[in-house]
Amino acid sequence: MIWQLDFLLCVLVLICAIAAINIKDLLSAVIILGAFSFFMCLLWAEMGAVDVAFTEAAVATSVSTILFVGAIIKTTRRSKD
Amino acid sequence: MKVIILIFVILSGGLLIYGTMDMPAWGDPNSPANTYVSPLYIEEAYSKTETPNIVSAVLADYRGYDTMGETTVIFTAALICALLLRKNSDDDEA
Amino acid sequence: MLDFIIAKYNFWIYVVLMMIGLFAMLAKRNLVKKLIGMNIFQTAIILYYVSIGVKKGKVHVPILVGAHGHGEHLFKAADYLNPLPHVLMLTAIVVSIATTGVALAVLILIYRRYNTLNEDEIIELRQAEQEAEV
Repeated sequence: MIWQLDFLLCVLVLICAIAAINIKDLLSAVIILGAFSFFMCLLWAEMGAVDVAFTEAAVATSVSTILFVGAIIKTTRRSKD
Repeated sequence: MKVIILIFVILSGGLLIYGTMDMPAWGDPNSPANTYVSPLYIEEAYSKTETPNIVSAVLADYRGYDTMGETTVIFTAALICALLLRKNSDDDEA
Repeated sequence: MLDFIIAKYNFWIYVVLMMIGLFAMLAKRNLVKKLIGMNIFQTAIILYYVSIGVKKGKVHVPILVGAHGHGEHLFKAADYLNPLPHVLMLTAIVVSIATTGVALAVLILIYRRYNTLNEDEIIELRQAEQEAEV
């Protein structure tokens, strides 16, 4: 447990979350959501929750991003907000 | 409308932060969550399940039925996705 | 005062993250943006629960050291992290993926019918449809 690393990762997670909900292009928003998930995975690995971290990396990050990208390809990339 | 939502969100966030005042300190080894039932799992997991990884032992052995129910959830979600997104040829005119 | 902030600032960051997700769910008009907000909200809650099991100091991850091999072993609970929140949140992560999948399937159906993902336009189109039926 290194509190500097913990704090840095928390700040990066916050930045990724704010960027993901403010970007107009939906594909970019989804990719930033993937980055958000990876930072969250690093945060958990740093907390010592290794099983949660690799489940997040294997399941949540990849599968969730693939599902989102698939849905956006089927629909539209443009967003008004 | 956005201003009302922002005020509501800040109010509920303030309420939650007020709630954290009574929480034990972050990472406290003697907090109730760390002393109530988890020492039992750590001490007895290996002698009862022969698995060094306590998370796997609890997930697949102590809570095996819970994991089976989770599999049911995944199956139901996949089934719903397949049913919603199939190409239905008989009601194209609707 | 400084001790109090050091003891609690992690919880405050989680609350801020959760509120970002809630704001996106309520204020954004695009349905994909709402889903992204829901994902952030879920992840923040999972983060909060995992952080409950953290113990400061010299502790191992919840994998027993030196368990392979025969003989008597004595494991002390104070040497290992609390494994119980990890187990429960493993289930929660998988369930959140299932929720996202079903929501995206419904979203594709909405786009096929109304040709837009904006909530206001969908509501207008629905009202026009209902007036046309009457």
